[in-house]
Parts: sequence; structure tokens; C-alpha cells
Amino acid sequence: MIPFFKTTAWLVAAILLQMTLLPKYLLDPFQPNLLLILVVYLGLKLPHRFSALAALSLGVIQDSFSGIYLGLHALTYLCIYTLLSQLADRLYTDNRALFVLVVFLATLLGALLNLVLLVIFSVSNGLYASLLPALIPQALVNALIASLAFHIPVPVREEAR
Amino acid sequence: MIKLLVRHKRFLLTAVFLLAVFLVYALNLRNKEHANPVERGVMTLTAPIAEGGTAVTGAVGTIWSDYIDLLEVRQENVKLRKTVQRLNERIVAGNEAVMANARLKALLDLKGTLNTPSLAVSVIGEDSSAWFKTLVVDRGSSDGLTEGMPVLAAGGVVGRLVKVAPNSSRVLLLTDHASAIAALVQRSRARGVVRGAGGGRCSMEFTVKEDDVKVGDAVVSSGIGGVFPKGLPIGEVTMVKKGEYGVFQTIEVRPAVNIANLEEMLVLFRQPNE
Repeated sequence: MIPFFKTTAWLVAAILLQMTLLPKYLLDPFQPNLLLILVVYLGLKLPHRFSALAALSLGVIQDSFSGIYLGLHALTYLCIYTLLSQLADRLYTDNRALFVLVVFLATLLGALLNLVLLVIFSVSNGLYASLLPALIPQALVNALIASLAFHIPVPVREEAR
Repeated sequence: MIKLLVRHKRFLLTAVFLLAVFLVYALNLRNKEHANPVERGVMTLTAPIAEGGTAVTGAVGTIWSDYIDLLEVRQENVKLRKTVQRLNERIVAGNEAVMANARLKALLDLKGTLNTPSLAVSVIGEDSSAWFKTLVVDRGSSDGLTEGMPVLAAGGVVGRLVKVAPNSSRVLLLTDHASAIAALVQRSRARGVVRGAGGGRCSMEFTVKEDDVKVGDAVVSSGIGGVFPKGLPIGEVTMVKKGEYGVFQTIEVRPAVNIANLEEMLVLFRQPNE
């Protein structure tokens, strides 16, 4: 029960930071996406039964205060989690550099998935001009935060694969 | 057949799960202007937390700036340290009250010029994504707000409400890609639609090449569609380009409102086509 509350506290802190503090003091492309880092963490290091549901929930929460399309980040995070959970068996997930690299690549993949879904299914014009220039800075910032957060103690016991 | 299904059970379940989520996304594409129960529930749960977070952030910022002032005072006069600290705290609090007063006075002046009832709202959260431009405000349906209501600041148009929960709402800014506002150039009365282009910029589209538009022209709302009252400032033309081919000219517009520093806004109690 206590690990559950600890995990929930981390999640609430990440959501609060992303909604209130970070947008106030950081320019747009340099705001880290803490929820995406959590999704990558779930996919690589916490193969829990409910991790897929957790990744979906993180996406739904992000959709509720970012953008106007419910399901966009939910689908993106679920795809990223599914891909990572399939690959995690083949990777040395305790390696910090690998985690940072995966966060970097997951940020790029997530943004490209968002772009594809928005371009095909919505009528928003000129998305390329906003999304593409912010891609690399956002990926770099996420990787930086991931490298700092790597050593935060895991509140949930990792299941053996 | 059953053996085949059982053998590939994990793959099939994953595919069905992904398909279900994709269908949720596809079904909600049409519903982008209204909050569904899930969004309302999440916004209801997170609004008080966000308000608390904003309050804590403001308090921490005030304490930090007080500390910097204290250091400067200590360097200037050790003996009067306590007195100066007290006076500086009063000055900081007074300055904050003066700035808040100036902002709210400007908002009240705006409210006085409008014939439509309105409600002041404060920003409690911002969009965390680099390519969506929305704000979270501290009023919702319990205060009479509904989706589609226009949002203004002292300088002009900010956007409109898109998702409304009982105690909080989301504002789609005019610089978001999904935003479109019927507008006209104040000087020449050329008509067009101001659409968000991200990065704090907008573009005015569907203005025919024959219309007279110059850099520096003021762009105001045309009132078409009934969302925004006629004559509200939207921005200023910063670039005009007429290509050799094509029917329309390319116009860039800088918003009149400083989107990055918004704290208080007005929501007009006005429905589309009113």
C-alpha cells in the first residue's frame, strides 16, 4: 500500500510541475515532459501487470490539460509503452545511458506519432512549423531530466522477467 | 481456430487494446469543443491541486525575492537590517498589490466598455506541450461558463473556452493551430480569418489579393459567427506577401495581447450566433 501511495505522490508532483511551475519559468520547447519519462520508465523497468493501464492513464491525464483532442497522448503513450515492453527483454535496462537514449528516442517517436495523428485526422494547419523545430530541444531536455532522475529510488518492487 | 487464437492470445489482446484506444481517439475527434465525462472528472480532480500548486509557487517566489533583497540590505546597512527587512517586505507586498491593481483596473475598464455580462478569471495552469496553446482558468460551469464563450484581456482577444468542468475551464488561445477567428483589417475593412500558427504568432487567411492590407494595420474581430463581438482588437499586421499565383495573400499577425504574461482575463457570457 505504501509503495502505491509513494508512486501516486511522484505522479501528482510530476503533473503539478508540468502544469504550473515549468510553463511559468521555462520557454516552450525547453519544458521537459515528465509524464513521457514516466511512461518510458514503466516500459523498461516496471513490467507490472497494470503498467499498460498506467501508461494509458498518464496519456488521458495529459490530454485533459494539454491540447483539445482526448485520446491523442493516450494512444501515443500506449504505443510507446507497448513497443518498449516488447523490447525490454533484449535490453540492459539497468544501464543509465540506455535509459537516457531511450527517453530521447521516445520523445521523437511520440512527437512524430502526434504529428501523424493530427495531420491525418484533424484540420489544424501549419503544425509542422510548431512541432518540428521544438522536437530536438524537447528530446534533449527530456534526456537531461531522465539522466538526473535515473537514481531516484524505485518505490515499487520490480518483477523478475 | 481456437488453438490459433489461444496461441496468439497476447498479440491479439494487445492489438484489440490498441484498436480500442484508437477508436476512442477517433470518436472524440468530433468532440474537441466539449468536455466529456472523463475530461470533466480529471479537470475537477486536478483544479484544486493546480490552484494550490500555483499558490505555493507564488509564496516560494516571494520568499526567494525577499531573501535576495535582504542580502542587498545587509550589504548596505548592518545596523538597520531588521527594520529594512520589514520595510522591504512591505514594499514588495505593496508593489505586488499595485501591479495587481493596475491589471485589474485595466480589466475593469475593458468590462465597462462591453455591453455583454462578463466574468473575471485567473490562470491556474498552462499547456505543457510545445505545440498546443491552452490555459487552465479557475472558473467553470458552476459559475455559468460554457464552451465557446469568448475570452478577452485588457489588450484584446485571447481566445475562447473549449473544455469546461464544474470549477475550471480550458481556454484555447488564438495562437493555437486549432483556433480560427473571423476578422477584418480596421483601415481597409478587408476580411479574413485569423488562425493560430504556434510560436506566439497568427496568420490571416482567405484575404483576397485585391484587398488593401499593409504592415502596421490593426486587425479586429468582424463579429461574423457571433462568437466575438465586432471591433475587438486581435493584433497587428507584421508581414504581407502577395504571390504571383493564387487567390489569397499571405498575412502574418502579431497578437495584441502578450500571451506569455497573462494572469487575469474576462470571459464574456455570450454564445455563438447570439
